[in-house]
Amino acid sequence: MTSAAYEHTAPARRSRSLPTAGTLQWLVWLLVFGLVLGPFVPLLFASVRDRPLYQAGGVFTLAAYGDLLHDPAFWRAALHTLEYASLTTALSVVAGGAVAILVARTDMPGGQAFGRLTLLPLLLPSLGIVLGWIVVWGPGGYLSSQIQSHLHIGTLDINSIPGMAVIEATRLLPVAYMTCEAALARADSSLEDAARSAGAPPLTVLRRITIPMLRPALLNSGTLIFTLSIASLGIPLLLGTPHNIQFVSTYLYLQWTNAATPDSPIVSAGAMLLLLVATLLLLLRNRLLGAEARYVSVAGKAGRTAMLSLRVWRWPLACAIGLYLALSTLVPVLGLAVMSFVAFLTPLIAPWHLFTWSNWQILGTGVYLRSIEHSALLALVGGIVTTAVVAVGTLVAHRSKLPVRRTLPFVMLYPRAIPGLIIGIGFFWAFLETGGPGSFLRQSIWGILLAFCIRNLPFAYVVMYPTLTRIGEELDRAGRSVGASWWRTCRTIVLPLLRPALFASFILMFVEILNDYDPALFLVRPGTEVIGTTMLDTFLQGIVGPVASLAMVQVGITVIVLALGTFVFKVRVSGGHDA
Amino acid sequence: MPEIHVDSLVKQFAESRALDDVSFHVAEGELFTLLGPSGCGKSTTLMSVAGFQTPEEGSVTVDGDVFFDARRRINVAAERRNLGIVFQSYAVWPHMTVYGNLAFPLKVRKTKRNAIRPRVLEVLELVEMAHLVDRYPHQLSGGQQQRVALARALVYSPSVLLLDEPFSNLDAKLRERARTWVKELQSRLGLTTVFVTHDQDEALSMSDRVAVMSLGEVQQIGTPEEIYRRPANRFVAEFVGNVNLLTGVVATWERGRLALELEDGRKLWIDSDHTPTPNARITIAVRPESLRIEPAGTSTLNGSNTLDARVTAMAFLGDHYQYELAAGSLALTVQTSGPVFAEQVKVHIPADACAIVAE
Repeated sequence: MTSAAYEHTAPARRSRSLPTAGTLQWLVWLLVFGLVLGPFVPLLFASVRDRPLYQAGGVFTLAAYGDLLHDPAFWRAALHTLEYASLTTALSVVAGGAVAILVARTDMPGGQAFGRLTLLPLLLPSLGIVLGWIVVWGPGGYLSSQIQSHLHIGTLDINSIPGMAVIEATRLLPVAYMTCEAALARADSSLEDAARSAGAPPLTVLRRITIPMLRPALLNSGTLIFTLSIASLGIPLLLGTPHNIQFVSTYLYLQWTNAATPDSPIVSAGAMLLLLVATLLLLLRNRLLGAEARYVSVAGKAGRTAMLSLRVWRWPLACAIGLYLALSTLVPVLGLAVMSFVAFLTPLIAPWHLFTWSNWQILGTGVYLRSIEHSALLALVGGIVTTAVVAVGTLVAHRSKLPVRRTLPFVMLYPRAIPGLIIGIGFFWAFLETGGPGSFLRQSIWGILLAFCIRNLPFAYVVMYPTLTRIGEELDRAGRSVGASWWRTCRTIVLPLLRPALFASFILMFVEILNDYDPALFLVRPGTEVIGTTMLDTFLQGIVGPVASLAMVQVGITVIVLALGTFVFKVRVSGGHDA
Repeated sequence: MPEIHVDSLVKQFAESRALDDVSFHVAEGELFTLLGPSGCGKSTTLMSVAGFQTPEEGSVTVDGDVFFDARRRINVAAERRNLGIVFQSYAVWPHMTVYGNLAFPLKVRKTKRNAIRPRVLEVLELVEMAHLVDRYPHQLSGGQQQRVALARALVYSPSVLLLDEPFSNLDAKLRERARTWVKELQSRLGLTTVFVTHDQDEALSMSDRVAVMSLGEVQQIGTPEEIYRRPANRFVAEFVGNVNLLTGVVATWERGRLALELEDGRKLWIDSDHTPTPNARITIAVRPESLRIEPAGTSTLNGSNTLDARVTAMAFLGDHYQYELAAGSLALTVQTSGPVFAEQVKVHIPADACAIVAE
């Protein structure tokens, strides 16, 4: 080989007719920006008109806000919401933080397995789990009445505000657990080792070093949990409404469905206020922490010895967590399963005497079948589309030179803080105001899909962003330096390396969209039902059997998809492409 | 012909000036090094040439093509600059084989299918990696990955080669071999090359010319010998190798040499072509290995520029010995090839080993 073989060639020149990377990046930015923030414009507009938008005439007025703030029922609802959200936050942050410390820093048996099981409520269909609670722990529920008659002690009244808060806390505990676990995994353990070598006993280290280090994670997850619980609709609607306990979310929902004039501006005004509170909380949260340090990859340090030895408390604590997981997740799911196979569930007659297939057979008919088909289709299409859009959005946000790229992470995380019912109302008005395409979306399941995708888009971003940060920027610079355009570099280098995250994002989006319901409550119409709306509707009509079997369908699909995902995902990771 | 002209680059980061009027010119076939501590702006300069950083002012011209000109608002996209870059992390794409890594630039250039394989193998031959063509990067050692990175940067025959600290991830032994090898390849192919490093040994041993940078400014440009023996200022003198810095006042001056009056009154003669202002305060740099010491009792050293000194510390550094001396109030560092068995020594400062440095 001589140097003669090395010749200097002319640089590559490509045709300039193709749209440039800049155009593509702007389009993605506009799409994400428009779809996330767009629906709030008609919502704001609707809240300052004196009549619903579809009625002719109408003038600008702040009367709706005045009416709302002068309604004593609204203030009662606001107080209930505050009590509910505060209790939920306190319970889930304390318990979630404690579980995280037990799993990450002690020698509790089965720590890792408990850690993974703790995340389950985040992925299981929340509406179904609530129904499971009602079936098992509700007044006259299967276990609560057994305990009452045999042990003569009362169980928690799940129709009270503290009772509802406990259920909500079990649903949101994983949020606190996940944040704290990530913080502990990322924290430099030599800080704790230093304190121990300085002579501090483990409990002192825990109190003086570990817990203070967790403070940002606790504050961060606490704010998020508070935001999520003020917007919660399912639990208040199913448990509070029958006992006349109203919350802001149910107040707005019932106003929307029951008021004499449907779609009154009051609901839009209330939604705007709720949006304002949620946004302020999100800004507060961003202030509490560095905007980007929030999502750090959870990478455990294998083989690290436990800092705190629990000694005699090892098994009792493990049993306590096991019992908690059983009572909060396993028992409601089992209750649902049993419920779906009996004509009615009562402690007085053994379930097998009441066995029936009818709750399952009915799923093959009418609205039930339609809902299942719709939900499965939406989950599949939504999972693919959202993953694709968010992938490109994440690349624009973090791997482009688009001047406005820094606004994208905020926009992509924003829907996490927006109550589902606001997204529902917002899209309702948006579809109404955008003529032909809007009316097509309003009358088909695709409008619901759009709302679901926007609602759950932050999950896709949260999965992709940490993986992207682990792909060194020099890898795409190398692609550019050898002559590939931005998009080609993304396609052939960054996206293939991002594949595990794309896959995880699809699985997560599939599950979330399958189980989502509250934005759809404002968009659903006969013929466009999804599983969640049908379950709620059927339950409110007093029919429980088919609801249980529908919930089991959700649980079943969720578990299968998650198991499949974990299996395939593991195969990929150990495939050796991550060197 | 591939020459690089970098003219008056200015770049501002949040608070500090990353680049402050950086200019240099790299001749065809030259290996030009940007040397400096971390944060001095050397990588920012390189990435400005590559197109991954956009300075606020200045211009970059390679091979007659204007790549960047702030005034004329020209900024050619990185992928259209046709430069070969070896990154610090090598950036060998982990999901492609060695072949895939090298073929990609050719595919981007729409090279004919049947021409790709021969070209890839030809360049792999050049870096002695042809036998590993089907391996994945994680099956290669650090040194092999580096060769792949270099081959990938050469496979499309770019006009110039940019190397961003390519040896910093190799262990000491391998680094030395890679250095010789890259230099040999570069001069054989006659590649115009810009090389970024913080390692002075690398810079001195490989470069045709070196630009020493600090705080976003070019401190001095010169051949390795010039940089080492005639440092332009205190920073360059201290950054490149060990140095004794002596400050005094110009006492007398005659053709070609001047006498420096040190703080304790002693005089030191130094060779200098400069015409200094009498009574001006100046600093001179002299390298530890230029000084000569002998035991006081048996010394033949005599006359001007010879001082009595006491050994305060001694260290054995493998291929040489290092002595810390106290000559009155003056502290000096001396390197010798052999040991000196004495506490009281005479030290001689050769007049031709002293360079006047700016503060």
